[in-house]
Amino acid sequence: MTPMHRDLRLTAVGRRYGFRGPWVLRGVDLVVAPGTLTRIEGANGTGKSTLLRLLARLDAPSEGRISGRPRTAYVPERFPSALPFTAAGYLAHLGTVHGLGREAAARAADTWLERFGAGAYAGTPMARLSKGSSQKVAVAQALLADPELLVLDEAWTGLDAAARTELERAVAERTAAGGAVVFVDHDPRRLAGAPDAAYAVIDGGLERRTDPPGAPTGPVTVVTVRGAPGGRLPPDAVRIAVSAEETAPGSHRLAVPASRSDILLRTLLTARPPWHVVRVEPPFPDPLSPDSGSRP
Amino acid sequence: MTALLRYQADLLLRSQRWLPPVILYVAFLGVGVQSGQPVLGSLGYTAAGLLPVAAWLVRICVTAEPPAARACVAAARGPARAHLACLLTALLVAVLLGVAATVVVTLISDPASNGHRVHVPRPRAAAAGLPATLACALLGAAVGALTSRPVLRSRGRAVPATLLGALLAVVPAGSPAQAAVSGLVIGSQTGRAPVPLLPLAGAALLTAAAFAATGRPVARRSP
Repeated sequence: MTPMHRDLRLTAVGRRYGFRGPWVLRGVDLVVAPGTLTRIEGANGTGKSTLLRLLARLDAPSEGRISGRPRTAYVPERFPSALPFTAAGYLAHLGTVHGLGREAAARAADTWLERFGAGAYAGTPMARLSKGSSQKVAVAQALLADPELLVLDEAWTGLDAAARTELERAVAERTAAGGAVVFVDHDPRRLAGAPDAAYAVIDGGLERRTDPPGAPTGPVTVVTVRGAPGGRLPPDAVRIAVSAEETAPGSHRLAVPASRSDILLRTLLTARPPWHVVRVEPPFPDPLSPDSGSRP
Repeated sequence: MTALLRYQADLLLRSQRWLPPVILYVAFLGVGVQSGQPVLGSLGYTAAGLLPVAAWLVRICVTAEPPAARACVAAARGPARAHLACLLTALLVAVLLGVAATVVVTLISDPASNGHRVHVPRPRAAAAGLPATLACALLGAAVGALTSRPVLRSRGRAVPATLLGALLAVVPAGSPAQAAVSGLVIGSQTGRAPVPLLPLAGAALLTAAAFAATGRPVARRSP
């Protein structure tokens, strides 16, 4: 749970394959600060994955500099399960590789498989897992040891609706705990309203995106809380809410991206003095209902 | 590093891809070594045969994971360290195999020089044979490291290069493996068993250099 010591910083980074190959990325400047959520957009084949591989330090830049070395976890877009382990066995190994003790790794493996609804497959050989289930293993692998930097390359692809929502929650938890998360996803509604920054890879360069005011924010949970009249909401709660209004003296209505509702409630309930939660209204449409819009 | 080694070793054992080189080595020894033969000559044969087996084991270890799984591990520990763990795992298995073979060959062979002229005590023979075996395991691992991913990535080039590299590491004079093995073969004729420490040190240096050299381009040449 230790926050990143320093920012991960890309300075004038370029990458090409081969000495004479065309530049996939060039002149990229990017700072990934602890506790932030960063979205990378771009059409297919523009170099998004290359950028993510550079951020995860899997790939070295051909020019420019990358500084900062947070404890990193990476989720590839396709995770082939051709490994001679069971799901739990693989995760226990990866937990120790990520720096956990052996017992802690085995416990974390069970916890995360359970969270993604794959607890029943813990003892199944990886080779027999479905595509979706092995993607759950790939995602669980990255979350085992609370990484300082989480890099998600279309990690939602192939997950079922419940697991997709769970991954959004896990991302919100990670950033709330001071970790940085960088993700690519083709669904524009993915974590809508939550990213602190969005960039687009265009012609090998990186452009910062600013959402126009009034842009759709994705599913929103509305939380009504009551405190002492005149009491002020905790600053963290106000920061993650997309809107906050005082409906009556001491009563507040907060709207928060659905993925961050747990974080908001935790902040309010653990505040001194704690706030009383009067009502939680689920987002509409509910992302778990079958005809909601969050298909991959 | 311990976690990485444990992961790689488990991966190798469970994948069962270690079986072909180990069976080949056992068959090679079965053909070339018989009980009652002069001990030093047999130990030389044992050591020389280990070199290509070590190179093959390295090839198996560095290609054991699908690229996506390799990326997950490399993100956690850095690509160079993840790659080094593959190399060390293969080297470790080769060393264990070589030590076991050396012990067995020492026990079943005749403790004498060629033609039973000079008595060669078994501990003395083992003291000469073990460093030679280690030198061959080390050089084999170096050959394997230099002729597989990330240096040579197409299988069509890597496999012949590994075979050629293994041959070049055993046969020509000047190679530490050749020095260690020929020391044993000559020792078998004279009845004196030199402990090949110098070839072992040379092999260790060359292997360290090869491992370090292949660690660098891992990130540069991905994916």
